[in-house]
Amino acid sequence: MQEKIRLCHLYPDLLNLYGDRGNILALIRRTSLRGIDLEVESISIGESFDPDRYDMIFLGGGQDAEQNILRSDFVSVKGEKIKEAVAKDKVFLCICGGYQMMGHFYEEHDGHKIECLGAINIWTVGKKSRFIGDTVYSSDLFAESSVLYGFENHSGRTYLGDGVKPLAKVLAGSGNNGEDGTEGAVYKNVYCTYSHGSFLPKNPAMTDFLIRRALEVQKGVPYNLAPLSNEVEDFARNALPTCKKP
Amino acid sequence: MLHIRAGFAVMTASGISKILRLMGRGATTLPGRAALKIYPQILSQLSKEQKIIVLTGTNGKTTTTHMAAGILKARGYTVITNVSGANLATGIATTMIEGIRIRRRTEKAGGKVVYVIEADEAAFAKVTGPLQPMVCVVTNLFRDQLDRYGELVYTQSLIAKGLDATTARILLDADDSLVAALERGREDRVVFFGMDESSMTRNTVTNPLKSALSETTSDASYCSFCQTKYEYRARSFGHLGAFYCPSCGYSRKEPQFLVSYKEPSEQEKASAVQKGESPVKGPADVGFPVTLTYSGESITIGLPIPGLHNFYNTAAAVAACTELGEKCGDPALSFTGCAKEVGKVRPAFGRMEKIPVGSKSLCLLLVKNPVGLERTLSFVSQASDAGGMYLLLNSNDADGKDVSWIWDVDFESRSYPEKVFVSGERYGDMYLRLAYAGIDKDRMQAQPMSRCGDLLDEALAECEEGKCLYILPNYTAMLALRKIMVRRYHLRDFWK
Repeated sequence: MQEKIRLCHLYPDLLNLYGDRGNILALIRRTSLRGIDLEVESISIGESFDPDRYDMIFLGGGQDAEQNILRSDFVSVKGEKIKEAVAKDKVFLCICGGYQMMGHFYEEHDGHKIECLGAINIWTVGKKSRFIGDTVYSSDLFAESSVLYGFENHSGRTYLGDGVKPLAKVLAGSGNNGEDGTEGAVYKNVYCTYSHGSFLPKNPAMTDFLIRRALEVQKGVPYNLAPLSNEVEDFARNALPTCKKP
Repeated sequence: MLHIRAGFAVMTASGISKILRLMGRGATTLPGRAALKIYPQILSQLSKEQKIIVLTGTNGKTTTTHMAAGILKARGYTVITNVSGANLATGIATTMIEGIRIRRRTEKAGGKVVYVIEADEAAFAKVTGPLQPMVCVVTNLFRDQLDRYGELVYTQSLIAKGLDATTARILLDADDSLVAALERGREDRVVFFGMDESSMTRNTVTNPLKSALSETTSDASYCSFCQTKYEYRARSFGHLGAFYCPSCGYSRKEPQFLVSYKEPSEQEKASAVQKGESPVKGPADVGFPVTLTYSGESITIGLPIPGLHNFYNTAAAVAACTELGEKCGDPALSFTGCAKEVGKVRPAFGRMEKIPVGSKSLCLLLVKNPVGLERTLSFVSQASDAGGMYLLLNSNDADGKDVSWIWDVDFESRSYPEKVFVSGERYGDMYLRLAYAGIDKDRMQAQPMSRCGDLLDEALAECEEGKCLYILPNYTAMLALRKIMVRRYHLRDFWK
């Protein structure tokens, strides 16, 4: 029987900064190459979100002006349902602004606090200076490849509270806050990172991990994905300026 | 008479120019920088009582500036204009200073002088006050290197500031909701240009776009005034189209300067082939017929530079020159007079520039941001003479450090030339993007920037006779490649 994963792309018309769409394309590619049917549904402002309908939820980052448009819909209208999906172990991938909005609050550099969803125990403090550049992380989420490559571009500094683990350790770049050497966050099946754009395309092991987790939660049993060539991804990884040549 | 410090500023700048040129280097910004240091009012001093057009916007600035300059030249003006890329205050000051001699010479001979100045969006806010242009043009607003320029609403506010520092006639793209919103509070000075609704290709009713794999990115989905999602009667590309807000009623206004065209039908194309006539021209071809309409007059011209986005640039250039003519009362700049000339303009530096190399040719298409690249891919995929495509992606400061925007571009819903070549400092990123768009790795060759010249040779060697290799670099990649092309294929250098 053909496997099927339903992916909810939240606010694609507003949260679409810096190529976050690439992550969706990666999920489409590596499911379709395995004959898994991935159905992507877009849900935006005013549309209802049914946590039971989806195996995966994707939340990207947006410009401040656009994040302000959707914040009340996300926090007040869909908020409880999103939290319900988190509680039900649904697989989330949240990037940059989407990552920040899953936390308790975003404190702007003038001290003004913007309330966020509070679905995970993290918070963010905005600073004037931005962290921009290639990043390298090591992660122990999966065995296949512990090195993740990314590109960060953010002014918020995110801090992790109790019960939340970092997604990875920073080997190059700034990560969550430039202080504690952590990058991203994991809580239940919510995976967050500051690496946007081509995060999943560049890290096929991470893509596969999310696909596998989604199927495992759906079926309630461990699941093994059919192996797939990483040739084009490895070529791109080896061409990165941050890549450590053997 | 020049102010004494202004005189000194000009002398210094001219000296620097001479030295730089003797050293064989381009002198586009340093002289202006020195002059602005010595005499900050240099721009207002040199622009007194002059006819000036200033153009800004994300895409199409250089092409529209170039087209307007071409029209004005043909209508009897001596045109002073900044070279591509030199569109910051320093570059504009250099242009104004280098223009002094040209202006003196022209005025002595009884000629007319006009300045056509392209300004970066941030520079626009600073230079319009001192320049006091007669006409300002805002082409469009798309996301572009957000880490450098900041968010789009911020860019929009910079342009507003620049407009408010002048009493100029303002030309806005009616189909761009972000640009058209600048009309508010400036109604008496605004004139719109735009595309005829029935010509928009992504007409949501009769001609829906082939659906992309994943929802593609729009830069303005929500109303600038009330944050309700726009609806569209028809679309041209990106967020451009006949938008309207169902909540507050903000909507596209009918443009005074209108561009329209008819896409040839499959029947027409087939019948030309059958009769053995030359192939019917489409929007990707030079000379494709487009109609410009203003104030009850219509004129059909051959498209000077191909691609749908150039329909807008063509309309904007004609509108700018016509408005200038109205403002300064010059009958030589009638609408039909200007429209006739625009069809004869040839491409600007790095924009659809075709360079013959033996029996083949190279075409340089500068790509800097998602919509620019999307338009260019659309063009290349339609070009009947494409003998290869060569993408180069760099990430220097001038390009923007962050190249992840390539994932915002819809590569998926088009087909490309059989051979695809990739280079640039981020060749791995671009290679992966293309692979994920479904281009088989056997069709691709990717090499680091250090080998971009050799790859150019290979790409050209693999290009069929009579065909064209389309090269799509971003900014610093283009500069580097251009140097290599000058060396290897003995082409003239751009600042000479």
